[in-house]
Parts: sequence; C-alpha cells; structure tokens
Amino acid sequence: MSMEGSLGQDSGGREIWGPPVTRKSLMRGGLAALLVAPWTASSLGAGGGQESGDSEAEASGRTQGAGATGDEIVLGVSAAFSGPSRGLGTELYRGATAYFNLVNDNGGIEGRKISLKLYDDGYQPDPCVQNTMRLMLEDKVFLLFGYVGTPTVTRVLPILKKFQNESIFLFFPFTGAQPQREPPYGDFAFNLRASYNQETAGLVDNLVRIGKRRIAVFYQIDAYGRSGWAGVRAALEKHGEKLAGEATYSRGEKFTGSMRKQVEILQGVSPDAVICVGAYAACAAFARDAVDLGLEVPIANLSFVGSENLLKLLVEGRLDGEKYTRLLINSQVVPSYEDTSIPAVREYRELMARYDPKVPEELTQEEYTPFPHSFGSLEGFLNAKLLAEILRRLGPNPDRAGLEEAVFSIRDFDLGISEQVSFGPDRRQGLQRVYHTVVDNGRFVPLDDWGARFA
Amino acid sequence: MRIRRLFKWTRFGIFAVFGVIVLSTSILCIYTVDTELSAEYEINAQNIAKTIADSSAGILLNQNLATLQSLVDQFLAVQGIRYIYITSETGEFLAHTFVPGIPEEILASDHSSTESVQRSLPGMGDFIEVGSPILAGVAGTVHVGMDLDVVALKIQRAIGQQVYLICVILVLGVLASIWFVNLAAKPLAELLAYAVDLARDGERDDFAEREILARDDEAGHLARLFLHVARQGTGRGSVPGATGQE
Repeated sequence: MSMEGSLGQDSGGREIWGPPVTRKSLMRGGLAALLVAPWTASSLGAGGGQESGDSEAEASGRTQGAGATGDEIVLGVSAAFSGPSRGLGTELYRGATAYFNLVNDNGGIEGRKISLKLYDDGYQPDPCVQNTMRLMLEDKVFLLFGYVGTPTVTRVLPILKKFQNESIFLFFPFTGAQPQREPPYGDFAFNLRASYNQETAGLVDNLVRIGKRRIAVFYQIDAYGRSGWAGVRAALEKHGEKLAGEATYSRGEKFTGSMRKQVEILQGVSPDAVICVGAYAACAAFARDAVDLGLEVPIANLSFVGSENLLKLLVEGRLDGEKYTRLLINSQVVPSYEDTSIPAVREYRELMARYDPKVPEELTQEEYTPFPHSFGSLEGFLNAKLLAEILRRLGPNPDRAGLEEAVFSIRDFDLGISEQVSFGPDRRQGLQRVYHTVVDNGRFVPLDDWGARFA
Repeated sequence: MRIRRLFKWTRFGIFAVFGVIVLSTSILCIYTVDTELSAEYEINAQNIAKTIADSSAGILLNQNLATLQSLVDQFLAVQGIRYIYITSETGEFLAHTFVPGIPEEILASDHSSTESVQRSLPGMGDFIEVGSPILAGVAGTVHVGMDLDVVALKIQRAIGQQVYLICVILVLGVLASIWFVNLAAKPLAELLAYAVDLARDGERDDFAEREILARDDEAGHLARLFLHVARQGTGRGSVPGATGQE
C-alpha cells in the first residue's frame, strides 16, 4: 500500500507526526496557533469518498466531540520510534495500522476514518509526558492508544487522573505493569495483554516445577524492571523461595555495551535460571555475555523484550548463534504468529502482507528493518481490532463520556484467538493467557515440555 | 632613588597586610563555605529523603513497587544525588538505583539506621548518606546518597571565586600603592635635588625661580624655608612667604 493511502498522513499528504515537544516549542506552537489557522489531521483510508467537511457533519447532526470530528476519529500515540528500543514502537504501530487501514478501507467507523497522531518519545518518560500533554491539549485527540513501556506510562497516569473530567483514557499500552491496573490509576487505562505478574508467575511456576528453584533476576533499573522484579519475587514467595540474586542495567543500554559485570554478579549466586526484565538490546547483550562467561542456565525474557529483535541480535552474522539461543525462554502474551490455525493470526498475516505498514519516514531517523511478522505487531493488530469494536459500539455520535460504557459492553468477545475477551468495572484487562516460546531453527516456537528442554 | 627607599618598608607593609588579609580571608572562606555547604547539602539530602519517605508510605502499603521505583528515579535527577534505596522494615531492598548491583558495603550496613554516614564505595566515589524513616520506621527506611565529589567541586568553585576576587583586589591595591608612593615621592625628590643644589651653590640667583618654590604643599614650604635659610647664611635677605610660622 502506498504511503498516500496509509494511516499517519493528513488529507494533504502530510504525515501526522512530530518531534517531542519542549516548553519552548509549546509556546511557539501556541503563538503560531494565534497567528495562523491550524491544520487539522484527517484520516487517510484509501479510497476516500467517505470524508465530509465540518459543515456537512454539522448538517448531519453529528457530535463534534474532541478528537472525533465529522470525518475522523483521532487517536494519540506516543511510543518509541527512536533509540535502542525503537523496534518495539515500530512493530506495535505496524500491526495496529494494518487493521486500522482495513477499517478505513471499509468506510471507517460510522463513516469516520481512524487516524493516528504519532509522536516519538524514544522510550523516555519526560518526552512521553510532553507528548501526552500535546496530544491532549493541542491535538485534542479522542483517546490515547498504543503507548510503549512502563517508565513512560507510569509517568503519564497522573496526567490522566488530573484530567479525569475530560474522560480521556489510555487504551492497550504495551506494558504489563501494575500501576495502570490498580488504584489509584487503574480507572484511567484499559489493558488487553496479560500482566507482568502473570508472565513472571508463569515462568517461575514452570521453572520451579522442573527443579530450577534458585532464580535470579536481571532487570532494567526503572519502573518496568521493578515491576518484573516484584512479580518474580511474589511468585517465588508462593513456592517458599526468595530471589537468588539480582543485577541491573540502565535503560537505553545498547547491544554493543558490556554486561559482564552483571553476569559476574549473578554467577556469584549460582542461579538455576535467570529471568530478564528488560528491552531486547540489553537482554541480548546479557544473554551473549552469560554464554561467553559460562553462565549456562535457562535465561527467560518477558514479552516486552521484543523477541524477534532479541533473536536477530544474537544470531545475525554468527555461525555459532545457536549457542546463544538454545537456553532462551520467551514469555508471550499473544499466540504464535506462525500458528495459522488461529483465525486472528490468518487475518493478521493477510493484512500485514496486503498493507505492509511503514512508520512515517520523519519518525524513522535511525535505521530499522521491520519484521514481516512479530509478536509485537500481532499484539498491535489485536489491540486495534478490539479498539475498532469499542469505537463501533460508541454509535454514530462518539463521545469520550461513553467510552467506559462501550468498553464494559465487551463480554466474551471473540477476537479470533482461542481466548474470549471481557471487560467490566472490576476487569480492566482483556486477556489473561501467557504463552511460552523457545528458539528452534532460528524461530520462536511454542514450548510444550519444559522438563525435556531444560532437564 | 634614595627617597623611594623611605617607602620601602611602607610598601612591604602594604604587601604584608594584604597577604595576611588574603590568607586569613581564604582560610575563613574555606572553613565557612565548607561547613555551610556541607551542612546545606546534608539538610537538602535529609529533606529529599523525608519527601520520598512521606510520598512512598501509601505506595509501599499498596505494594506498588513500580510506582515506588518511578518516584525514586525522578529524585535521582536532583543534582548531587547519586543513589537512593528504600528498604522494608525487615531490611529487604524494595527499590534502588544501583547499577550493576547493590554494593557490598551497603548490603552489609544497618538499613534501619537514619544517621548520616560517610561512605566510600569502590568504583563509585565518596558519599554522604542520610536516611529517613517511613511511617516512623515501621514501613521501612529511605536512604539518599549525596556525591561528596560534587559537594567538593561546589566548595572549590565558591572558594575559588572568593580568592580570585581578593587577589584582584590585592593586585589593584599594590598597583595603587605604587602609584601613590610615586606621587608622594616625586616632590620629595625634587625638594631633595633643590636642597642639594642650594647647598652646593647657594649664591646663584636662579634658585628663587625654581618651580618647587611655587608649590602650595609641604615640599614648597620646605623649599622656600631652605632658600630663606641659605639666603640668611649668605646675607642676601629674606624670601617672601618663607617664615618660621609656616
């Protein structure tokens, strides 16, 4: 699909994106808004013909709510499109865009196209906060969607609470952390994926079951890492165990960095297994250095890691790549994209092939080659599919105030995977299931027999 | 040259006084700035630790450790703070900022103590660590490590600025003293030359026309007095304006 008809452009062919805002740029923007007529983002489903001007919309009696104008519904996105974790934001965006393009090609939601207002935060909290303020106050998006990361989302939640009278919600962030699932901020976000607590519990339970009781944690020293650390700790407590040891790294670490000190710290506690709570670059560096230094134990990663990017770093250009991946276990929150017996997977693969979405060039300053299929893009696809259903349930006059009711009306909804999705006032997470995968022949495949693999 | 010798000790005295001023002021400055800044840093660290402790009580009770870590991370951006860690009432580390791991010295320390201590952590530097109890210590303790190198740098900068200012004043003072001494020495030198000439050849008539006799200061008065005395000695009469009353 050509860029002309893809999401992320306005009606004039301009991409809807922007750099992280600063106080200065906000002031400049405000001044500019006083001097010139602001351009508005509009949806770009191919085909057009469904677009209508404001006067037409008014004539048809549609509600002109914030972010839902006469011909489009604008969703605000702040995610990592740059930096060492740019693969996460890119893959999630590609999957979501594939489905939204289908919706727009079919006439949109009640005649309104879905468009995304994109900003890059580089997986850093401060730019994410600034982007969110801009999305809410300047762009006046209908809702926030597809944010990436715990340290970023954790900082945004208080903003949503501050503006709770505006009924602006965060939908389906790419994080399994607890803050957006619990008071005092749980009421301002809706989650689709399973939590880190569920992922870590799944890993710990299975590792303990095969006799790997001394479990250490390697984690990113921020809210994400702490969330995973707390999950492992809580899961071990249920088995009467404590963390065997821990080592940390700073967010933004690259694959070229050394993790030898961290490996040496963990070697000192002789663990049976290590659970990594980090992003792909650092976790790949840790797995590499662990093998090189002789720490030959199962190394597990959470879904956030970005499995395909992790694998690529470990095997690309290596003849002995298998030795770095044979002890990997990756937890996933969506089924395997290789399993074409699953209806949603077939649909996902078909749409990814049809649209092959690209992140707007202006947001891709750093080189990144997307994967044809990935767990991240499948998750983005499922997020978009469920959100489109919620928007449909808002009816012909979408209003933020009706969002919560529309979400709560999702009961036993079939998303096309084997698990039904339900929401309610006390249930703000749609999926509960966790999948485990290992690397065989350079691909992630389901892990069925833990004992046989890691005995 | 001989006249300037008169001021040699005066000049030396000025230098000596300035030197003593610079030295004593610098020592006092170092002591005051060091004491005050160190105390201020410690108080700031204690306030930050207390703020974190107050903010984290509710978070800790809800076991929301991701939010607790997020809170800690934000305070790490404050200048001078190098590490923060929060321990539970049982001494378990619930949040911290150490990479690649918690140092042995800190693992071995008393985590419930809130006394200020100085630590030297291998590979990290020297720190002053302060603590603050969470809910009077029943929910845990917050510890904040302030980088002493940053404190030392601040102190050096503050002292350096003061010493620099004093040195500038010293140089200006010395230059001014040289100028003033020269200003005072010039008429004295002229007077000396006049007196010497007068003593050598008091009979010459042009002595009464020298410029120095027109001066309205001590040098002029003395010159007129010398001429008067010289004339009286040779019986050539008096010099107008040169009386003993002056």
